[in-house]
Amino acid sequence: MSSRKAIIKKNLVAYSFIAPNFIGFALFTLVPMIFAFILAFLDWDGSPYNPMHFVGFKNFVDLADDGQFTAAFRNTLVYTVQTVPFTLVTSLLLALLLNQKCKGRNFFRTVSFFPYVASMVAVTAVWNMLFNPGMGPVNELLRKLGVENPPGWSADKDWAMTTIVQFSVWKYMGYYMILYLAGLQGINPELYEAANLDGCNGWQRFWNVTVPQLSATTFFVVVMLVIQCFKVYDIVYMVTQGGPGTATLVMVYDIYNKAFVYSSFGAASAEAIVLFALVLGVTLVQFRGQHKLEA
Amino acid sequence: MRILKKTFVVGIVLAMTLSFAFANGATEAPVATNAKTELVWAVWDINSTAYYKPIIDAYQAKTPNVTIRMVDLGSADFMTALQTQLASGSSEFDVVTIKDIPGYNNLVKKNMIVNLNDYIAKDKVNTKLYGGTAEQITVGGNLYALPFRSDFWVLFYNKALFDKAGVPYPTNDLTFAQYDALARKMTSGSGAEKVYGCHYHTWRSCVQLFGILDGKHTIVQPPYDYLKPYYEMVLAEQNDGICQKLATLKASSIHYSGQFQNGSIAMMNMGSWYIATQIQKVAKGEAEASKSWGIVKYPHADGIAPGTTLGTITSLSISQGSKKKDAAWDFVKFVTSSDCAAVIAKTGTLPAIMSDAVVNEISAMPGFPADANSKDALHVTKAYLEMPLNDKAGQIETVLNQCHDEIMTYNITVDAGLKKMSEQVQKIIDAK
Amino acid sequence: MQIISAKEKAIQTIIYILLILCAMVMVLPFLWMLSASLKLDKDVFSFPVQWIPSHPRWANYQEIWTKIPLMTFVKNTVKLTIIVTLLQLFTSSFAAYAFAKLDFKGRNTLFLGYIATIAMPWQVYMVPQFVLMSKMGLNNTHTAIILLQAFSAFGVFMMKQFYTSIPSELCEAARVDGMTEYGIYCKIMLPLSKPALSTLTIFTFVNTWNDFLGPYIYLTRQELKTIQIGLRMFISQYSQEYGLIMASSVVTLIPVLIVFLSLQQYFVQGIATSGLKG
Repeated sequence: MSSRKAIIKKNLVAYSFIAPNFIGFALFTLVPMIFAFILAFLDWDGSPYNPMHFVGFKNFVDLADDGQFTAAFRNTLVYTVQTVPFTLVTSLLLALLLNQKCKGRNFFRTVSFFPYVASMVAVTAVWNMLFNPGMGPVNELLRKLGVENPPGWSADKDWAMTTIVQFSVWKYMGYYMILYLAGLQGINPELYEAANLDGCNGWQRFWNVTVPQLSATTFFVVVMLVIQCFKVYDIVYMVTQGGPGTATLVMVYDIYNKAFVYSSFGAASAEAIVLFALVLGVTLVQFRGQHKLEA
Repeated sequence: MRILKKTFVVGIVLAMTLSFAFANGATEAPVATNAKTELVWAVWDINSTAYYKPIIDAYQAKTPNVTIRMVDLGSADFMTALQTQLASGSSEFDVVTIKDIPGYNNLVKKNMIVNLNDYIAKDKVNTKLYGGTAEQITVGGNLYALPFRSDFWVLFYNKALFDKAGVPYPTNDLTFAQYDALARKMTSGSGAEKVYGCHYHTWRSCVQLFGILDGKHTIVQPPYDYLKPYYEMVLAEQNDGICQKLATLKASSIHYSGQFQNGSIAMMNMGSWYIATQIQKVAKGEAEASKSWGIVKYPHADGIAPGTTLGTITSLSISQGSKKKDAAWDFVKFVTSSDCAAVIAKTGTLPAIMSDAVVNEISAMPGFPADANSKDALHVTKAYLEMPLNDKAGQIETVLNQCHDEIMTYNITVDAGLKKMSEQVQKIIDAK
Repeated sequence: MQIISAKEKAIQTIIYILLILCAMVMVLPFLWMLSASLKLDKDVFSFPVQWIPSHPRWANYQEIWTKIPLMTFVKNTVKLTIIVTLLQLFTSSFAAYAFAKLDFKGRNTLFLGYIATIAMPWQVYMVPQFVLMSKMGLNNTHTAIILLQAFSAFGVFMMKQFYTSIPSELCEAARVDGMTEYGIYCKIMLPLSKPALSTLTIFTFVNTWNDFLGPYIYLTRQELKTIQIGLRMFISQYSQEYGLIMASSVVTLIPVLIVFLSLQQYFVQGIATSGLKG
């Protein structure tokens, strides 16, 4: 077989693997996405009976002066910067903890997964109740411990974002713990044995064996976390509705408003592109970093 | 080995194909046969709304070859869901209910509902019967919907609590000062026994719209300094424990109905739609603490006639994509007619045509408070729409909500909050 | 010897304490949910919090089946979830193998493109997608939801990361033995990726089970709706029946937990390199 034929055959085989997923994806997701991109340069109110006008970069220019957008942009960054490290560390710690041999391990693993699994409507109602600034259990406890003016949580513009971050970490911990658990299972015990022979203690084992071996998993976790944080909507909608004022207004929330409340699909798409570019930029940086690590 | 592998692959492909075959949900609605027409009606809260069934029964009795099928889009995001559904130009819906004015505005702008002028002229529908509400939703001389329900705001109060405190009931002529004083008198107790003098639900309309009742301003008109006295009154009430704080209410998803039924509120300003709910709950025995209740007219500013209050309309439209517009019009015409007004009134809901007969009907309903004041409260002197027709209603509403939130949760002072609100709304109005 | 076992005991105790603390943080909200599910709506949010209701209202658990067609919703959700999960598992792992272990033209760009699309929030292209589906006649069908959810870039990304950590020597050895790529996938990659597949199953299952916005838009006919839409039906303009919401949340949590418990053991299972040893 000539080498050129071999290469073509190899490519075809590879494409055949990707095809089932890609075709469904391209047709039902990619096409609408591309259309949404194009919308950013148009002015459309979402009606099949009204025309779309081409307006060039007007939607983007308008964003610069848009108070809702600037608040949303800032809040999204703050949220991401706080949620990602906390979730990463807690889920890794949780996974390490739950990887130890102990009685009832399955029970504890299941329990950590609860927050992720339960329905959002119920869980946010519970959370809001627990953190009720007036008489919720958390503030009652704080008062008993001597704190005079416990925070106003979701009703206080200085604490609202913290409330959202706390809720997100609590909810996502179990999810990313699973990923780390699976990753931990994939570490060859021979590596640990070798480290022991070399006289490493637990801490050194962790840094020299566990962390490097988890590199692929950590990379995945960080990328997904960052993307998930940039895209946050449901949590904000259910816990604070973007308030008080614009304290917890995030970009997807504003995009939703622009599209469905103001009927400005062009403006919504423009903001979406800004978000997309932001996430893409951050993800690319992470990919570069990972390649350097793997090299 | 090869055979095994091949069977495995074939097996998976078969499984996938089969799963697709089972995946199909219901097929499209059957095409009309025997000249039987089915109209699809977009509504919300089918289970908890009393008047849908009687209306449909009455119509189907009159027009047997038409059946009405309701589709429940949920009340929380009804107008948004409706606009999404209609975005594909589908012929799925024939009759659509219009829940609020900003949503109505959007539908008109997007051409998603039919201009009813021709139908109205052809069938000589008298829009004056709707007490001025039809005029308020006319856009550029065109009417796109007809009101079938109109609600207005009243003051609910718990007679048992007033009796216990030895305080005379509120009257049909309360100024805001008198209302505030009454609320303060009625507040008592603490902890689980606490009784709040008044209660403001989390909607901004419960507080903000006190300011438009003198007719001098609309809520889409900055500057908003005229709202200051009302915010100050309510904030003082929050501070003094006369009413619950907005922060607490929002965080606990506390619904006003539960609070009133619990007997922990003496007075509550709320819309007339709550009358039917309260009657039902008492009848079911789930509201023992509030079974003796009444309504009076909304509090009014000095110099303004009592009976001036806020109003909301619920109307019906025909979807632009509908293939049965004439049949849909016939249904709309029926629901918004005087005949149907009686049907609606019997369920304790206020129809858009509020004749004396209708008022009598409602006040005669079992469960409706028997005192003369409550019946009198059903007479409205003047109703101002919660939100007037405005192209930018959606954006303005967002700002109004955000600032209201901030002010009520003490995140910003009243002056700074109103200033922010005025500036932002003005910017929206000025933008091209 | 004694020093080591005392130290080990201490570590064990610390681990248990930490575990119990964590468990409490995780579980407390659920205990409240359980207690709320036995209360009348107006008592659910009353303060001070009554952890054990004085008159447990078991009737709530009956009412949720009659007030809304919860059984229909459960059946619909089960059907959607199983189909979507199977499809995702298959197509994602299939594609991930190519990205991880095969070298072909355009691999890196295509993969990056895939990941990039995860960055786009769904709300943005939701309407164009809905219009497309409607024009294809798929509005108000379960097929629409399946097509939306089954082909995600997320599954591909996740499986690819796991496959990367499986040593390529295994595949090389098999290729030298004359196996086709399909064979390698079936006989080598699939068996070794049980932890990854279980993880993906759990994630896809939970995502589809809890999905609200998708079914909300596409399924307006009562007989097609899913659990999450059902839960919101308890929140109407007139009242918010949180007692019933909590009860149905508790009930619908159970299938997911069962799936999780049964797949849990695969995390403990053998590791990739057992292939090299044996």
